[in-house]
Amino acid sequence: MSLKDARRILALAAFLISVFWLIPYLIAVSGYWNFYFTLTSVALLSVASAGVWLTFYIGRINIGQGAFALIGAYVSAILVTKAGISFWISLPIAGLFAGMVAVLIGLPILRLRGVYFAMITLVLTEVVRLAALALPITNGAKGIVSIPLPSELSIFGIVLIPDFSAIENPKLAFYYTACALMVACYAAMYRIVNSRLGQLCRSMQQNEELALSVGVNIAYLRVIIFAISSFFGGVGGAMFGAIAQSVYPSSFVVKDSIDFMLNCFLGGLGYVFGPMLGTLVLYFGWDLLFELGKYQLLIYSCVLILVILVLPNGLLSVRLSRILWARQ
Amino acid sequence: MNRRSIFSAASAALLLSMAQGSVVFAENPLLKIGFVGVTSGPAAAWGISNQRSMETRAAWINEIGGYKIGHVMYDIEIVSFDDQKDPKRAIAGMEKMAQEGIHYVVGPNVDNGAAAVRPVAEASGIMYFPYAFPKELYTAPASNAVLGMVANYQSGPAIYKYLIDEKGVKTVAFIAANESDPLSQRDSGLAAAEALGLEAVSANVTYQVDTTDFTPVLTPVIRTNPDLLVLSGVSPANAPQLIRSARELGFEGLISTETAQDAQVLREGAGDLANGFISVGGASTPEIASDMMNEFVARYTDMFGEYNDESNTKVYALEYILATLAANPAGIDDVEEFKMTMDTFEAPNPYMKGDAVLRYVGTSSFGQRRQLSVPLVVNVFNNGEFETLLVAEVD
Amino acid sequence: MEQVIANGLYLGAQYAMIALGLTLIFALMNVLNFAHGQMYVIGGFVTYTFYGQFEIPFIFALLASCATLAILGALIERFLFGPVIRRSSREESTMLLAAGIAFLLDAVILLVFGEKQRGVPKIVNGVFNWDFRIIMPYDRILICVIAILSIVAFISFMHFSKTGRALRALAQDRVAAELMGVNVKRYSMIGFALGAMLAGLVGGLLVTITGVNLGMGGPTSIKAFLMVMIGGAGVISGAIAGGFILGMLEAVGLAVLSQYGDITYLAIFIALMVFLAIRPQGLMGKPWG
Repeated sequence: MSLKDARRILALAAFLISVFWLIPYLIAVSGYWNFYFTLTSVALLSVASAGVWLTFYIGRINIGQGAFALIGAYVSAILVTKAGISFWISLPIAGLFAGMVAVLIGLPILRLRGVYFAMITLVLTEVVRLAALALPITNGAKGIVSIPLPSELSIFGIVLIPDFSAIENPKLAFYYTACALMVACYAAMYRIVNSRLGQLCRSMQQNEELALSVGVNIAYLRVIIFAISSFFGGVGGAMFGAIAQSVYPSSFVVKDSIDFMLNCFLGGLGYVFGPMLGTLVLYFGWDLLFELGKYQLLIYSCVLILVILVLPNGLLSVRLSRILWARQ
Repeated sequence: MNRRSIFSAASAALLLSMAQGSVVFAENPLLKIGFVGVTSGPAAAWGISNQRSMETRAAWINEIGGYKIGHVMYDIEIVSFDDQKDPKRAIAGMEKMAQEGIHYVVGPNVDNGAAAVRPVAEASGIMYFPYAFPKELYTAPASNAVLGMVANYQSGPAIYKYLIDEKGVKTVAFIAANESDPLSQRDSGLAAAEALGLEAVSANVTYQVDTTDFTPVLTPVIRTNPDLLVLSGVSPANAPQLIRSARELGFEGLISTETAQDAQVLREGAGDLANGFISVGGASTPEIASDMMNEFVARYTDMFGEYNDESNTKVYALEYILATLAANPAGIDDVEEFKMTMDTFEAPNPYMKGDAVLRYVGTSSFGQRRQLSVPLVVNVFNNGEFETLLVAEVD
Repeated sequence: MEQVIANGLYLGAQYAMIALGLTLIFALMNVLNFAHGQMYVIGGFVTYTFYGQFEIPFIFALLASCATLAILGALIERFLFGPVIRRSSREESTMLLAAGIAFLLDAVILLVFGEKQRGVPKIVNGVFNWDFRIIMPYDRILICVIAILSIVAFISFMHFSKTGRALRALAQDRVAAELMGVNVKRYSMIGFALGAMLAGLVGGLLVTITGVNLGMGGPTSIKAFLMVMIGGAGVISGAIAGGFILGMLEAVGLAVLSQYGDITYLAIFIALMVFLAIRPQGLMGKPWG
């Protein structure tokens, strides 16, 4: 084991310990319980943003993640309320369904590039919102409300996840769930980026024609990546539906899609953990400026613009430490 | 004066004002009331009129020495959170209120936000006063939400009945923005109209909220030539344009809505074409406004430069919270006490002339008292001003 | 039917003007300007302030809108987009900047002009009514004519003036233009200012009909993106075509599908997606942007 590997494992351990032990401990000590929801949001939004980042990885600007988050939220909500399926089973189904939709839509539109792809995904967000308003199964404008909290998950009588409504502190439970999802998601991303698939993606990002000419099946590849990306979106959206216990057509809108994209940009497109950092900074940035009242948006946007001016390639381009990032 | 001395003068002034502020606050204990709503972005007008009426009233109370609850005079502080019309942010806002130890929160302004904050509010013991109409929020088992205004399924029938009796209206057309809140309001308005025997000649036409030209949207509606055109859940920004387009297309029937509008906006946006436009408002028309209402309007205008007529209905939530707490001081940190008081609470309505009362209603719509009894004032716009058409009450 | 076509033409003229500025900026700098809608709103508010409040003649208020936005655009290019484009390793980074500027302008609009819907007195009264087959208020006709004239003026400017030729050279090939002696830095700024000015002009024109409020910015940007995509990104004639097509599509769609209400826009958007999937470069665009 080289020194580099050792440092990498250490960093990972430090991250896991702080997420699953240190942060809950600090919250419990300081009594700032509202941070649970804020951090849960950050974790879930960064899962969805990770999907957007992945589509960047094949050279596509994706402003349609809100659509897949909304699809995921609705699939899970419908399965839980109308079919009575456990939330924990509906969660992967929501992701898979979003992925399936992505395959269907992706086949024609992934041929597009640059702003064309960006725009069509932007329209997609609006299409899904309008469809949710018009379709009978989504309950139209009235949305789906009073969704029960996630129930118990057990295999052969062994309780894996307890019933959330019976837990004393569902906030903490949601926090752990969201963080577990986030860790799993970024582990998968890291794996993808450092696999042969990742190499092929990088070759596509550089030059699709060249990649095609050396025998990369780019059509297949980009659909797979887009489906994985949308899977993340669907799972993130479904989880949010469970927390809010309600889904409306406007639960995820164009603004969310744009936010997901901005998270990736801000963190830095060249770094696997960019979207996580970007989400944290953008979301917390807004919350921290809460005290400023009516100047909140003004200061927020000024700081954002300054950051872009100073670090146009994303926050992680500072490279305080080169250990964690996937691409050296 | 060089730059440094300007800076030090400014910081000295800042310190001084902070010191003064803390001196004032030190006299009375502070009662924090929350506001979670949208105060930036496209729908900012809803939340801002809300937040500003609360801040105006709070500043007023503090100026005259506080609000008496039990034997203690409290200064009121409004803690506002901008949810950007995003339900995810609204939850964060409610968590923030819980963190600050606040038990009474006004808002959110839209359906999905109000539904999303419900789990947090119920878990953290917060009573919240949304401006959203879904009945699920107010009927049992939900118990922490109190509707802050008259719902359109309550005001609609009153307006339609009046128009049927007085103006001989027989046919009605509905038009709504293609969004959750207006579409729900259209559906319930349609049901109410049909229950009263009106014939709906057009109810399917919708428009995008960002429409810049309503002529194409309205053309098919006007062709059906209804006696009454209802703009369901119309935002103050769209109302003048819709009215103007309808009139320019030659529509001569009545136009009404069940949402609150602003006279200045109508005056600028539609001018005389808006004459006869019927909308729902609060108690600020000269016929019914009390001296206190007039003073509220004057103070609001002083503080923020321009009054917003939407605030007529939004002045009530804070007043109700404080008056109910005064009736039962135990409610200050126990919402169960507050809920018990709600069933029997009654106080004179300071904003209206005559003997109107503040009390909680809603038994016929929700099966429990989970609505503020805000006077249902139906206004008609005439030559730049609102005139009161009728005043009714909801039970 | 005549009414539908008239509606479509009017909508198309206003849309085309909105799309023009956006596509110009895109062609010159490869920047998708998310803040375009906000610039349009500022234009509307400036005209409102001068014409509606100070009661200065409409034409001067309109010029004030144009001037304000041109200066704003020049400053934004000079101090924000220029440096970021030079220093960023990816073109996409400018999208983050554009979104940041959109937030900033939204905040400024809210603080300066307030949250209310604003409108101004009509510039011309009366309604043109041809036997109830076409009904069109005179002010709309006037605005429509001014819009078309401005579009014509803009095109001739781009074709015949020295600045216009330099801008077109820049749009075609930045490097080649620089080698041929075009001052790229200066003309980028002029081009951006021109694009922003067009947004201000259309904002000032439309405030007389639709009024203005701070929420109009974002949706306007998105609609403008659509038109640009239909016509082909970065192509002037494409933006004009895109504007008129979207205008017609809306007018016809609303007339034909009005009974199905909720799905009118769904149908329009799906049709757009299908069109773009089949013809990704739009009607007249270069393939792959």
